[in-house]
Amino acid sequence: MAGQGRQISDRRVDDTMLIREAQHGNRAAFEELVRHYDQAVLRLALHLTGTEHDAQDVYQDAFLKAYKNIGSFRFECSFYTWIYRIVTNLCLDHLRKRNVRKEDAPVVKDADGGEYDLLDQVADGRPGANPERDLMRRQLGARIARALEKLTPRERMVFELKHYHGLKLRTVGEILHTTEETAKNTLFRATQKLRGQLADVR
Amino acid sequence: MKCEWIRENIVLHVYGELADDARHELEQHVARCADCAAELKAEQDFHALMAQDRAQEPSANLVAASRMRLQEALETAQQGGWWTRLAFDPANWLRQVRFSPALASAILILGFAGGMGTTYRIYGTRIQGPVIQTGERPAANEASIAGIDSITPVPGTDQVSIKYNTVLTEEKRGSLNDQQIQQLLLYAARNYNNSGVRVDSVDLLAQRSGDLQVREALIYALQNDTNPGVRLKSLNALGNYVKGDTNVRDAVLRALLNDSNQGVRIEALRLIEPVKADGSVRGVLMALAAKDQSQYIKSQARTLLAQLPEID
Repeated sequence: MAGQGRQISDRRVDDTMLIREAQHGNRAAFEELVRHYDQAVLRLALHLTGTEHDAQDVYQDAFLKAYKNIGSFRFECSFYTWIYRIVTNLCLDHLRKRNVRKEDAPVVKDADGGEYDLLDQVADGRPGANPERDLMRRQLGARIARALEKLTPRERMVFELKHYHGLKLRTVGEILHTTEETAKNTLFRATQKLRGQLADVR
Repeated sequence: MKCEWIRENIVLHVYGELADDARHELEQHVARCADCAAELKAEQDFHALMAQDRAQEPSANLVAASRMRLQEALETAQQGGWWTRLAFDPANWLRQVRFSPALASAILILGFAGGMGTTYRIYGTRIQGPVIQTGERPAANEASIAGIDSITPVPGTDQVSIKYNTVLTEEKRGSLNDQQIQQLLLYAARNYNNSGVRVDSVDLLAQRSGDLQVREALIYALQNDTNPGVRLKSLNALGNYVKGDTNVRDAVLRALLNDSNQGVRIEALRLIEPVKADGSVRGVLMALAAKDQSQYIKSQARTLLAQLPEID
């Protein structure tokens, strides 16, 4: 535990030096900083946007924005919070635009009138895959994805950061420029809606 | 009221976000209240259901591709100055001004004085010709280069002459060791407008393929150039590093698998011959031997595989 604490503290010192170097125009230092955070950023963007192409666009825009504006970073929050703030803003924009368009997956209706995604029916041909369990997992994933789509962008973001990324609600509040209390209320609303949507899934 | 509070906080309890005293209170209440116990059970079931759905980790390929794309964009990106900071975070500036009346007054006075000064300059010095700067012009940086016209090596020397456009076409003459010459060559290798320029620059960069940055530019040309001649020249320039540089090896393998030009693929196959025992190369050879569209590549891959010792 102490070792882990030291690691986090070392990383912070490390980051501070890299940020200062990047603020003086050292591109290599910035690229090193990117490598510390980019997998988490990509994971968040990938799950929120749903496609590698869009996730790459969010990744690119986020780090370019960070690079151009790193001079304004004044160590008032951690770099982690700062970069997540940029990414979540870009993802929120993406979700809002998508809510307007709503033309994403090749969704069709089944005999009961329920919608399902054609791509979810494509079998996983990898060796060692258990087709039956795999199909069930994919169907559950598709139901959850559709339930998540019904949330407002902000509810979706709070739930995403808490449930899939395990962030503390205090950090979620900081990232979204709001209070911990508001983040708690938003999480409550999001889970209530999801429970309603997924009530028949067991 | 108590049950309402419990229901609002059950989700926080399940996500481990409840303070110790509140958690104790909730557990005590749930032990006595059947409705709230049922609500807790429902929330826990929901949590368990959601736990089956995990956010997918990005693949190594996606991470690598994203990093490469970002690196390219960073080459031309400019960091913002103080004015960008103001634009990026105006709220912070406004906060500072709100809490500093003296600063707000100073800004007002400066603005007023600046306005007066500008008016005086406009009406006071009405007749003024164009400003001519004298002295040596600073070297063009990549962002100010509009295009590259030509690259001409001087025969029998290591001198190169490169004509490039900024606002006017300029010429830079210098040794291949000159850093600015190298920068211009690297820029030219990625210049999409004129394939002749790209061929010339890749030709010259080949002489410096020991340099990591040059190799990256050559790999980029091999993977992205639309002209097969440029790709072939880049491939040849990288040939000596197939053994020592795994990035080069991977790029050559990608060309072997995916390049649309048969000549480039055959050359790539020839280049990987010295490293055919490598695991990734063996895998690619097996795929080609099994189902490549080209009979020649299929048979060559089989020949190379036949020369390898069997793996038990």
